[in-house]
Amino acid sequence: MAHPVESNSSIKLAWAVSWSAFWTGFPFKLIVALLLLAGQVHPWEGAGLVTLLVVSVPIDIWAVGLTARTVFLERLGMEVRGPVGVTLWWQGAVLGALVLGGAYYAVGATVAVSQKVAAAMIALIKNVYPTLPIAEQITLELLLWTIPTAIVMLVCGLIWLQLFGWRVKRFVITSGQTTSASLLERVRQWDYARVPADPTLVLVSFAGVIVTLTVVFWALLPVTTPTPHPDYPLPPVEKAAKPVKPEELIKKTEVTLEKAEAVLTALEKEKSKETKKGKGK
Amino acid sequence: MNGLLQKVYDFVDERIDLKTLEAKMMNEPIKGGSRWAYVFGSCLLFIFIMQAITGMLLMFYYIPSADHAYATTQYIIHEVDYGWFILSYHFWGSSAMVVMVFAHMSQVFLWGAYKKPREMIWLVGLLLFVIVMAFGFTGYLLPWDQRAYWATTVGVEIMDKTPIVGDFLARFLKGGPTPGQMTLSRFFVIHVMILPAALMGLAGLHLFLFRSAGPAGPFRGTLEELRAKTDFFFPRQVWKDIVAIAVVFLTICSLAFIEPVQLLEQATPDPGDYHPEPEWYFLFLFQMLRLKVFSGELGQFVAGVAIPGAFMLLLAALPFIDRSPERNIFKRPVALLSWTVVMIGILVLTVSAILNREFLE
Repeated sequence: MAHPVESNSSIKLAWAVSWSAFWTGFPFKLIVALLLLAGQVHPWEGAGLVTLLVVSVPIDIWAVGLTARTVFLERLGMEVRGPVGVTLWWQGAVLGALVLGGAYYAVGATVAVSQKVAAAMIALIKNVYPTLPIAEQITLELLLWTIPTAIVMLVCGLIWLQLFGWRVKRFVITSGQTTSASLLERVRQWDYARVPADPTLVLVSFAGVIVTLTVVFWALLPVTTPTPHPDYPLPPVEKAAKPVKPEELIKKTEVTLEKAEAVLTALEKEKSKETKKGKGK
Repeated sequence: MNGLLQKVYDFVDERIDLKTLEAKMMNEPIKGGSRWAYVFGSCLLFIFIMQAITGMLLMFYYIPSADHAYATTQYIIHEVDYGWFILSYHFWGSSAMVVMVFAHMSQVFLWGAYKKPREMIWLVGLLLFVIVMAFGFTGYLLPWDQRAYWATTVGVEIMDKTPIVGDFLARFLKGGPTPGQMTLSRFFVIHVMILPAALMGLAGLHLFLFRSAGPAGPFRGTLEELRAKTDFFFPRQVWKDIVAIAVVFLTICSLAFIEPVQLLEQATPDPGDYHPEPEWYFLFLFQMLRLKVFSGELGQFVAGVAIPGAFMLLLAALPFIDRSPERNIFKRPVALLSWTVVMIGILVLTVSAILNREFLE
């Protein structure tokens, strides 16, 4: 006799687990990506990409484990013990790598062929209707090659879901135990398991993490724009003003005044001598 | 500390009956339990609050005059500490608001949540949609660069084609034969005073109507299942809302980093090499206007005014036309097909508009 889990659709089961797991892990990955961006490291290339991928693995394992247990309990009425996340994650990753590899060639070939077909069809239309406007041509060509491409992508996605769903079912059948709890109890079981026993501690930790991340973010954030406008006038570099020391300034002024007074006295003396000489003549 | 907080709470509670208010806010029963599909409204509220905060920060430096708007925007980007980030966040926040409005409206449409007794929530929601689009349109002019100037020129020209009120609206918005100081002043006042006031009032009404009618709940499931899963707003839906808000916030921040705001040349009445184009969420309409079938005065009126106007009227009339109590989208093939066609149409026309750019060089 077939196991009751077998009657479930593989695609629906895989979708329920993977879609929820994606959104569960996504906020955490986004935080890492944002911190990398604030530090001006691109998360889509080089060290940034490696960091993001390394961080994503444990996040995904945790997210898959969490959502899979919930789906098994709520939808299948099955309780599974053991490392759910790791087991399902590596199987999903291997299948993903295989399907993605195949999809890369399938989608690439579809794009190439459908674009050629679209171009040929446009050329044919232009023979009949030479003044085909450019806006219509663009939209028509776009539809002609994106529809088959979208279908191929959808089929590749469905293949992965079918394969992953098949693995999920096998896993539940071999490692799961049917729960005797009613629907209400099953719904509440995992729901309550997620409500923390000490909400204050969780709230304080949560707030602490947010404050730390905010401080790190603002510390990393560039103060001025990383992409200045090419024509924006650069502000003139101002020379640093010398610090004013009042006592020294007064002394210096006094010395200058004394010197000036001495010069003035000398000049006055010289002038009076010249006047006396003039009178004497 | 807890004792002090409790005293403050009791003091306020004695005067405004805080406990009842709290119970009303947090203990709203959600049929069928909390769901990720219900987070869009909260996200919209969050985005609006952030837009208001970043907008106010920008106003500390921005001068809404034709002589200073461009220079002060450049000053915000280049000189003000973190100004580039605040401006870029505000810019991407407006796009996020449009995306979220589309997501929220789609969810309500697909869930059949516009049906009796929620017709008024839907109608007020449509008005909020118009306000969000108006926010985008008026805010786009404020940096006063070529992109801003010409997008507004094109937009006002389309508006001009509306029968009876079009000419008045265009003249009122421009305040002269070509966009200038009067246009900038009027757009600024509409953007920072009229629209926020209207949005706050209507959003309040929207929430009040929503709370009065209650959430629609899932469109399928047996009575037993729905009863088993029925939950209160706090804590599970609150938690989902917080997570969704965090995702929205982080996404806007990431976009502000990846594509920060960069101005073009200062606005002039001569477009030069620049090809006028509206903001991305109006591109589908712009591309529709380029189609041969809509060429000429009448065609432009049909594509620019009649079709969008008729579409909005149809949306407004929807709860009164579709009176069937069936809410399951998989049992409403016309609704599902219409939504798919509209979404694919918008997507295809938007991408076509982007591809069309290379033929303009």
